[in-house]
Amino acid sequence: MSDASAVPEADVERRLDAGAVVLEASALSLRAGGSARNRLLFDGLDLRVAAGQRWVVVGPNGAGKSSLLAALAGVFPIAGGSVRIDGVELADWAPSALAERRAWSPQFWSDPFPATVRETAALAHRRDAGWRAVLDRRSDPEVERVLGRLLLADLADSDVQTLSGGERQRVALATALLQDAPLLLLDEPASHLDLAHERLLVELLLAHAEGGGTVVASLHDLDLAWDLASHVVLIDGSGGVCAGAREEVLVADRLAATFGVAIHAIEVQGARRFVVGASRTPHGVR
Amino acid sequence: MSAARGNAVAAASEDAPDEASDDPRQMTSVRAIVLAVVAALLACVVGVLAGSSGFGVASPDIMTSIRVPRVLAGFGAGAALALSGALMQLLTRNALADPYVLGVAGGAAVGALGAMMVGAATGVQLSEWGVAAGAALGAAAASALLFGLLWRRLASTATSSGGDGAAALLLVGVMIGSGCSALVALILTLADEGQLRGMVFWLLGDLNGATHWEIVWIALAVALAVVWPTARELDWLARGDAWAATLGVPVGRRRRVVLLAAALATGAAVATAGAIGFVGLVVPHALRRLGVRAAPLLLPASAIAGGAFVVAVDAVARTIVAPLQVPVGVLAAAIGVPAFIAMLLARPERGR
Repeated sequence: MSDASAVPEADVERRLDAGAVVLEASALSLRAGGSARNRLLFDGLDLRVAAGQRWVVVGPNGAGKSSLLAALAGVFPIAGGSVRIDGVELADWAPSALAERRAWSPQFWSDPFPATVRETAALAHRRDAGWRAVLDRRSDPEVERVLGRLLLADLADSDVQTLSGGERQRVALATALLQDAPLLLLDEPASHLDLAHERLLVELLLAHAEGGGTVVASLHDLDLAWDLASHVVLIDGSGGVCAGAREEVLVADRLAATFGVAIHAIEVQGARRFVVGASRTPHGVR
Repeated sequence: MSAARGNAVAAASEDAPDEASDDPRQMTSVRAIVLAVVAALLACVVGVLAGSSGFGVASPDIMTSIRVPRVLAGFGAGAALALSGALMQLLTRNALADPYVLGVAGGAAVGALGAMMVGAATGVQLSEWGVAAGAALGAAAASALLFGLLWRRLASTATSSGGDGAAALLLVGVMIGSGCSALVALILTLADEGQLRGMVFWLLGDLNGATHWEIVWIALAVALAVVWPTARELDWLARGDAWAATLGVPVGRRRRVVLLAAALATGAAVATAGAIGFVGLVVPHALRRLGVRAAPLLLPASAIAGGAFVVAVDAVARTIVAPLQVPVGVLAAAIGVPAFIAMLLARPERGR
């Protein structure tokens, strides 16, 4: 996985790579459910994630994508290795200080009680303001701005319990953005989104990275992964994992072997698209 | 009196839909709290004036030795139960949870009825202090059992939302409650005829002779002081243990503290006024429907509204068929159930 030389965006990547390393994993290994008795998800993962980069985690169901994101967030027990954010081991962070640096958005949310979209989006906003943040939430222009960017302004006063899956997904993204942390760890942020909102998600996350932020997100759609990612982590579901620039990891052969379906990669307007074939015969790119 | 409160509630829910268009939750939640405070003051005034001897200012002696303490005891008990209910709902992520899912009230019932039975058997005339002490002891024993069984589970953080600890809490609490119900049934079976009436009244929730209001107020103040400063974290915990942990919430410690506060408030309320049902379940629920959702507002609002509700209902309970007194728990359900069903059916539309 070394021939990334012919990539048109190489210059851009080099500029972004100059950003400080915000997230590092060394020899990270995880077990299913975080329990030592369970099967190994993967072993020996090394990551160096710099500011401005977008890392996308792909892999089959149950491969450990969510576990990896939770482990990077510090809420999943690691079986071996270490995770550092801003150069500091996760265990050495004061939990509330860490919340300033990274936001984690889980795949599933529980909405046990009625709450408006605005209330839900602003849950983790202005954490140091305590109950005062709850009282004058209405007048917070930052909340309104994020709701507007996610096309949620019309829904701001709706009850989250009445939303469709895709609408709830956008609220989850709003909640994560309003935590005001530069490093976003997003577990399947594109699930339930329609085509237009998938594009909106990619644009927003690219803008977040351009503004000096960092994104690590798990995705199932390989085309979307290509458009968002600067780098990719591919977990194969049988104990293997590889990480690197998207051009090196999102390769048809490798993907076909991982997912067990035929995958063709084609070039459309400078972007790599992935066509899934019916046969199990893998085909190489170009 | 309860009619006055009912009108206030109705007025607020009529306001809600057109508020939502240009000026949504902030105003409605502030308005709901103002309403609750006004209702509380009104309820207390009416509660002090209403008596089985007629409506109006009674002799100073009756006022200071019976009516004022009774209103204070009722308010404290209602406030503590509603606060505890709000805490348990947040902790278990379940809108159907109430103070009694803890099993603490069951323990209090066993203690109170046990004290009555022991008193009768030994021929000792028990003051209401004796029964309250028995209830407090029972509540403490049930709490100790609950915490003993759950201490380690409370700290467990499920990686996905849904949460291990919350489900375990519900199950263990319900089991303790069921065990206590069996013991209560046993005591009722063994008790002699003369004792039965007093026991049944206690179980229904009865403010008759409840003159010791200090303990429940202290418990209420302690519980509020312990949970309110970090109330916002309870809203985070309700969305998921792991997510709350990423925001810096010490999940295990927070859950234990909140559970302890809820157990304290419930135990003190039940020891003071018996097992008044309905308040703990419905008051937080009704407030949420009025737009009071965030825990920093919901917790104090629940306490105020719960106290007002019990005082108002009790004022009716002891005047409606005077000189007889209906147990406050019976009337609370009789008034609350239709009002609550009406509120459920009038579910507001989606805001677009």
